Amino acid sequence: MNFLKLAFRRLFRKGEHAFTRIISLAAGLAFGLLLLSEVLYYYSYDSFYPDSDRIYVVHENFKMDQSSDKLESHPRVSGAIAPGLQAEVPGIEAATRLNSLGDHVVYTEDLNSYDANISLADEHLFDVLPIPMVSGNPKEILKSPMTCMVSQELADNMGGNVVGKVISIKNYPDKELTIGGVFKTLPENTNYTYDVLVSMVSTEQFTWDGTNNWMGNDRYYACVKLNPGVKPADLVPAVRAMQVKHQDIEKLEEEYHGIVLQYSFEPIKQIHVNNVKDMIIILATIALAVLFVSLMNYILLTMGTLVTRAKSSAIHKTCGAETKNLQQMIFSETIVLFGISIVGALLMIWALKPIAEAQWGHSLVSLLNPYVIIPLVSLLVLLVFVTSYFPGRFFSRIPVATAFRDYKQKRGRWKLVLLSFQFVGATFILTVLVIVTLQYNNMKNADHGYVAKGVYYGSTQGMDGNKIATVLHELRSMPEVESVGLGFDVPINGASGNNILSMDGKRELFNVADFYEVDANYLSILGIKVDEGDDFTSNQAVANDVLISKKGAELLKLNNGWTDGVIGKQITVTEHGSTTIRGVFPDFVVRSISDPDVRPSVFFYLPEVKFEEQKIENPSASFNIMVKAQEGAQDGLMDKITEAFNIGFPLDDAEIKSLEAEQLDAYKSEKGFRNAMLIGNFIILLVTIIGLLGYTFNESARRRKELAIRRINGATLLDILKAFISDLEFVAIPAVLLGLTGAWFTADKWMQNFAFKAPLHWGVFAACSFFILILVALIAAINYTRTANQNPVDALRQE
Amino acid sequence: MLLQLNNIFKWVNSGGQRIFLLKDINLEVEEGEFISIMGPSGSGKSTLLNVIGMLDSFDEGQYNFLDESVHTLKEKHRSNLYKEYIGFVFQSYHLLDELTVKENLEMPLIYKNFKGAERKAMVADMLDRFNIVGKKDLFPAQLSGGQQQLVGIARALISNPKLILADEPTGNLNSKQGEEIMDLFKQLNEEGVTIIQVTHSEKNAEYGSRIINLLDGRMI
Ligand SMILES: Nc1ncnc2c1ncn2[C@@H]1O[C@H](COP(=O)(O)OP(=O)(O)OP(=O)(O)O)[C@@H](O)[C@H]1O
Ligand SMILES: [Mg+2]
Repeated sequence: MNFLKLAFRRLFRKGEHAFTRIISLAAGLAFGLLLLSEVLYYYSYDSFYPDSDRIYVVHENFKMDQSSDKLESHPRVSGAIAPGLQAEVPGIEAATRLNSLGDHVVYTEDLNSYDANISLADEHLFDVLPIPMVSGNPKEILKSPMTCMVSQELADNMGGNVVGKVISIKNYPDKELTIGGVFKTLPENTNYTYDVLVSMVSTEQFTWDGTNNWMGNDRYYACVKLNPGVKPADLVPAVRAMQVKHQDIEKLEEEYHGIVLQYSFEPIKQIHVNNVKDMIIILATIALAVLFVSLMNYILLTMGTLVTRAKSSAIHKTCGAETKNLQQMIFSETIVLFGISIVGALLMIWALKPIAEAQWGHSLVSLLNPYVIIPLVSLLVLLVFVTSYFPGRFFSRIPVATAFRDYKQKRGRWKLVLLSFQFVGATFILTVLVIVTLQYNNMKNADHGYVAKGVYYGSTQGMDGNKIATVLHELRSMPEVESVGLGFDVPINGASGNNILSMDGKRELFNVADFYEVDANYLSILGIKVDEGDDFTSNQAVANDVLISKKGAELLKLNNGWTDGVIGKQITVTEHGSTTIRGVFPDFVVRSISDPDVRPSVFFYLPEVKFEEQKIENPSASFNIMVKAQEGAQDGLMDKITEAFNIGFPLDDAEIKSLEAEQLDAYKSEKGFRNAMLIGNFIILLVTIIGLLGYTFNESARRRKELAIRRINGATLLDILKAFISDLEFVAIPAVLLGLTGAWFTADKWMQNFAFKAPLHWGVFAACSFFILILVALIAAINYTRTANQNPVDALRQE
Repeated sequence: MLLQLNNIFKWVNSGGQRIFLLKDINLEVEEGEFISIMGPSGSGKSTLLNVIGMLDSFDEGQYNFLDESVHTLKEKHRSNLYKEYIGFVFQSYHLLDELTVKENLEMPLIYKNFKGAERKAMVADMLDRFNIVGKKDLFPAQLSGGQQQLVGIARALISNPKLILADEPTGNLNSKQGEEIMDLFKQLNEEGVTIIQVTHSEKNAEYGSRIINLLDGRMI
């Protein structure tokens, strides 16, 4: 028999709830699969490299803090490590290193500009991390000075035929790179990405050359490919020997009384997974919750068709159908329903594409890889099997006569169980959503310790140093501008680090978030008030004076035994030398609240004219020009500021940022997470409501007679509702408690990511529970009232 | 011996009380018999027929079908019996709502693994024989009770069963149609088919070779 044809016919039958089943399943599948595919996608990172199982990233492990035994792991190492490993450690088939120059603007000879991420790479790159070439010989290119290769995407943007052409980098004027080849653009699922590869022998043209450094300058991404069968643990003795030989590690360990530096090898495929471990747990939990709830709902609704289904199964049996046939029949039906739902889910995913892509930060197409597809397809096959096998068995076991004798649904405890699973899921998601929203709003609106509103800034990267004075003048003459200042960094971007040394200069006391130099206006633009000592507007301030945050001042007092404060004291800071402390300011949020840099912070003074001189002397140096707008004056200001900046840019390509917007952007992932939760929540609630409607509908049909008899005997509507609703709430309450517990654990896990936590008031949990319980009561009340208000005589006659 | 029921009891428990549906049924049926079961409404006729057809279980006693104990019969074997041996006509027709008349008739043939062309021919033959060619593409809900009953009978007969279990096969037919069906049964019986029918009509019972009377689940 053509079961498929039958299945399609059934779709349009009344009482089969086919449409609701499809909608709720499709919504659940769309959301669940989207989230799960993202989780699986994390596991696909860097798997596109051949023999990726044998590729490892070299990590450096060191003590951040000599007083603790904890080793910090850092995925970058010194320049000489990779070649050293290759030469001196047996078991390593190949080793390579990359040194990232970061994101840059690249010019072609026709002065068109392109954004590109640039890395220096040695000639062994393709022995470890090969990518297909479109043209050129990678080994030759990466050996030749001032030669590079570009991704196919970039090459296409540049007009296709780029080999032999010359490019330059905005930040390094006068340096010309010849394109020697084109490589296939890297997939998105890699933890190390680049658009342009420059031969490593060119390093000194761009930055200090640490390629032969055994210690320090640890900014090289080093990867090794081990011989088949070799495990990282096998390498330990040889690596140690290399350290002894080249780093004099034994002497260092003696000096520091313990471990100083160790190397470890992390499987390249694990790098990303380890970075997003918490996210994986949370996403997977939510995805499975949504899938589970929509599946429960599907089963609940499917079982709702029991009466008709049991009967038709029985008829098939009397015609000679075996269990096998019945199962085939239900299987084809499940296939059809799932098929339509999956198509629906794909359509929904398609509709959600822009949101999803913005949230995940990669294209959805890149999800189409075996690491994602194979598990998901297996999961779907399993679901189809489970949802058809068990009902098939169930129906084939109902005795024929029982099915024919007006097969009455039993009391249906199991239906309540299925329904209660949905309550668990709904409570779980709702509570997590509320907590995530609270946390997001809290962070977004939290006092960061500085003012971001009305602050705009732009980099002088690529600006003509001789024009800076003109730009500043132009900005200051704008009526909307309150003040203009200079500085190397802004708080939201974080700061690099330096150490404050002990008085004798022998020990490092502590590490500080170093914001480098700022001019006299910088702090007032950010509204940071120096509340002890003077700020840099004081005419006593000289270049290289320092301001330190409260936390740092306390540490100094403690370490140096200063009892009379820190103002006027001399300290030595690595990279800056000796400096005088001018003032102390309250600590503010460095980077973001979700990922704060908790070190004390410092600013050094540099007068405005010195900034200008520096830029003229060294055109590749860059700092920020900061603009504070007058209150209220916002409309089109950004464009006007950009215009003023462009005076200094030969190509008119200045880029101005709003500090407020950047700050908001720092909470993008929390926002995205909240949005994901919002969608998940919507779907789960929808599905649960459908489930509840289905249940109460079936239940009131089943108990129609009972209702009628009760009414005839004088029960009021309220009495009846009480009895019926308390039945439901009896399962709802434990389910809600279970959901709350799950939400509490998940939220707790997620909140561990934040130093700054929104308080988890018990009221949140209470409110979420009440919402669900009342929703249950409401839907039940509406549906039962409809039945109860029927004329009891009609109801009885229908029996 | 086709089938043999010894001391069959069937009951349901209701409100702590045991209500007997069948009480101490003893019955032997030889191949080729034509038996009519009679009795007032609610006396257990359909229940007995269902037990005979192995559609329903019983609580006590011994039932052998073709010398095999029904208790030990495997599900697979039973569905084979339905396929190869038994045709059911139900009091309330039990047609498949989502199938047309033609498809309802075709169904037993599919489970018997007849080829498509053969099935077509057999279905056409049946439609012809029962004068329902014009209804072949209608769904059961579009037919009258009598028409549905005819389709039910046609479906039972299409796979040439050796045993027909019919529960009031003519209950919804007019007397002329009823007579035709009874004549058909008689003719099949003469060809060797065993028939057990439930009926309220003395006249129809006459067609049979033996009458069993039931009262309150007991044979009298
Ligand atoms: N599974 C069951 N549970 C409870 N009662 C049952 C069950 N099966 C049958 N009965 C009851 O047993 C009695 C006999 O039913 P049965 O259908 O066999 O009667 P019948 O003789 O065929 O009547 P009719 O002539 O009206 O078709 C009825 O009272 C019926 O309600
Ligand atoms: Mg009956």
